[in-house]
Amino acid sequence: MIDARGPRFGAAISTVVLAGAIVLIDTPVGMGILVWQTIVFALGALVGLRAQPYGILYRRMVQPRLRGPVVVESAAPPRFAQAVGLGFTATGLFLVIVGAPFAASMVLACAFAAAFLNAAFNFCLGCEMYLSVARVRAGIGARR
Amino acid sequence: MTEVIIVVVVLVLATIAGIVMKSRSGRVHQRLADIADQSIFSVLPDAQVDPTARVTAIQFSSAFCQPCRATRVILDDVAQMVDGFAHVDIDAESHLEQIRTLDIRKTPTVIFVDAGGMEFARASGQPRKADVIATVADHL
Repeated sequence: MIDARGPRFGAAISTVVLAGAIVLIDTPVGMGILVWQTIVFALGALVGLRAQPYGILYRRMVQPRLRGPVVVESAAPPRFAQAVGLGFTATGLFLVIVGAPFAASMVLACAFAAAFLNAAFNFCLGCEMYLSVARVRAGIGARR
Repeated sequence: MTEVIIVVVVLVLATIAGIVMKSRSGRVHQRLADIADQSIFSVLPDAQVDPTARVTAIQFSSAFCQPCRATRVILDDVAQMVDGFAHVDIDAESHLEQIRTLDIRKTPTVIFVDAGGMEFARASGQPRKADVIATVADHL
């Protein structure tokens, strides 16, 4: 169980970073930003939320300064969100490397939208997707 | 320059989408398309219902769903306050057939039924406590 405000803080940073990556997609700086954000998501998804740089920043700098009740949530949905982010940024990185920056910016725009919705509206993507996936699986199962 | 336009357009669309979703989420409403021609108790025979309750809220939850936990707390609070109101928590993933029958798209979804198990309202997403109380009070 983790402090639910942490991933939301991380999503806010990711939103800004991804916007920067999109705007600078044609430049080496943009590529560097994209590489950085891909590493961030990879750490969060593959190693765990404790290793996620924005989460570390939150726990060291932001959380001690916050007052009010701590809303606790399971670590699984935010970790799933990191994996989704990793999928987008890795794909974007690949598209930049093979010389398709516009396609890359389209893919990164999706990640940007997801991070923004998470940060601004606390949109629980996991809750929305989880049941839809299960319903599809059940539908496929029922047809057999 | 194109990239800046992309960011701005996505920002605007996402903001609109976010506001719309937020305003609809958790709204307690009555469905117009009435498939409630059978009691929910027959759809969910294994649900542990309180037979003395005049209004029952049936919450569908899934694992790792923080809004589900919050909704459960809200329904608990209302059940403490209001006599004749009870609630039940159903795991969505182990009731996939019923999910399809009841047209449940996300968790948490709360279905409000009367003593006969007929649905009169539902909320998709975490409802506000005041809305729950109002809905329940109307049907007690």
